[in-house]
Amino acid sequence: MHQFVLSIAFGLVTASVLAIASVGLSLQFGITNYVNFAYGDFMALGAFFSYDLNNLYLHLNIWVALVFGSLLMGILAVGINRALLSPFARKFDKPFYVLIVTFGLSLVILNVIYSFWGANIRSYRTPVQYVKHVGPFLLTINQMIVMAIAVVLMLLVHVLLKTTRLGKSMRAMSDNASLAMTSGIDTQRITTITWFLSGTMAGLAGTVLGISEGNLTPASGELFLFVIFAAVIVGGVGSIYGAMAGALIIGLATEVSASFINASYKLDVAFAILILTLLFKPSGVFARSGKA
Amino acid sequence: MTYKDLSTTPAGSEGPILRCEGLTKAFGGVNAVNGATFDVPRNKITALIGPNGAGKTTVVNILSGAMKSDSGTVHLGSTDVTNMDRAKIARLGLMRTFQLSRELGGLSVLENLLVAPKVQAGESIFNIFFRPRLVKREERQNIERATEILRTYGLYDLRDNWARELSGGQKKLLEISRGVMASPSVFLLDEPMAGVNPALIERIGGYILDMKAQGVTVLMIEHNLNVVERICDNVIVLAEGKTLATGKLSELRQNKEVVTAYLGEVINASTGH
Repeated sequence: MHQFVLSIAFGLVTASVLAIASVGLSLQFGITNYVNFAYGDFMALGAFFSYDLNNLYLHLNIWVALVFGSLLMGILAVGINRALLSPFARKFDKPFYVLIVTFGLSLVILNVIYSFWGANIRSYRTPVQYVKHVGPFLLTINQMIVMAIAVVLMLLVHVLLKTTRLGKSMRAMSDNASLAMTSGIDTQRITTITWFLSGTMAGLAGTVLGISEGNLTPASGELFLFVIFAAVIVGGVGSIYGAMAGALIIGLATEVSASFINASYKLDVAFAILILTLLFKPSGVFARSGKA
Repeated sequence: MTYKDLSTTPAGSEGPILRCEGLTKAFGGVNAVNGATFDVPRNKITALIGPNGAGKTTVVNILSGAMKSDSGTVHLGSTDVTNMDRAKIARLGLMRTFQLSRELGGLSVLENLLVAPKVQAGESIFNIFFRPRLVKREERQNIERATEILRTYGLYDLRDNWARELSGGQKKLLEISRGVMASPSVFLLDEPMAGVNPALIERIGGYILDMKAQGVTVLMIEHNLNVVERICDNVIVLAEGKTLATGKLSELRQNKEVVTAYLGEVINASTGH
């Protein structure tokens, strides 16, 4: 029983990281209509930006480094979209071509990270962590902060999408880009803002993943990408709220399963859920009328 | 020209509000529009009529920026909007509807209207975080205006429904009300009466007259000549992609070319001969 309760706490931490990453990926997919396979590498790059700010230059507190590292990743994502992805998306109607470009981009970013930071496992400079009792759970302060960040971010995304003109324009574009343009929505601007938000969330997710795992490697984002896809698809592709719910399901299921089966099968559990979803509800468990 | 500039660019105050000259558009070997030239007078309701395949919808697509012309020019007031990005044209004050109504189905009925107004503070991340009062005030004003429009168009009770759940007639009304929300100077309506019941035709006719009373110029594609006769000040007849004639419908009924190309066909259809 004790192990089961502990695994729920781990599940909530994993779900938090997953939710930040899934919502970032879903936002970008909903607007541009193509999958960014370099998203995992965006996460890793953002994590290494935070690492440098935390360990090498400025020696910032990890939470301050997380903010600046993520913003840096957001700005870089806008640049990558402007210089590389957007021209391809304009040239080719089918999203498939841009998807291939993102595959290539993924390899390039991964190797850039290897060349700048090497293949060594690294870790952030954080205060010594003590485990605290929170109700029936045992959590470190860092894990609690990661969960708080995820909750606050999800609320902010909800407020953005539901109550601001910017969010409504994003949803309008996600729903019907052509009609959004005809209604006078500046779709280029919305796309740029979306890439900034998506890149920033990738950076955040990569850094909090490194914090919660206690280490980071150039490939950590790429490995996590498959779990993110599972969460996004289980929740309902293109749905922000689906991505949040999918993250919770996958995060909890993978960690709780580890208290019953060998922990090395955690990823397999995520894929089993993904396959079952695709078999019985391909539109996603939380797909409903309306994307966001 | 930035989007902000566009929102404040006046469509001028003299002469025709919309002028197109020598528009052409070919699809493969077919000339859908073949030198269409006409002016749309300011603050009037103008009908664009013609037989099927005359190029009416293609012309409206070009005017609204949804399609690029092969040649020719389009001026909105004094601004050359030829082949301009459609969002920029919309922000200059030219809105449109479609033959088959289009709605932002994943947004509520109210939200469909709230995305329509031109440049707003709430579009900027900076303003959302650092000028929240301004954003809130603007949003409140927009909600008030949208609510008023929805009441006028009989959609108020459906304001929180997903737009995709509406019936065909309701979608038609939503599309028109979304355009009205943007405070356009020119409103292009592509067959607003198509597929709607007679009672709704009456209502939509009334709404179009209201728009005119509020200073909006309307250019509408319409096949229903009773409606054209009743609400339109001016008529442009297109045939084979060219402007065949312009004038009042009563004058055009005397024009042999027009009768041969279109009106005879419509009158025969309506009388069953």
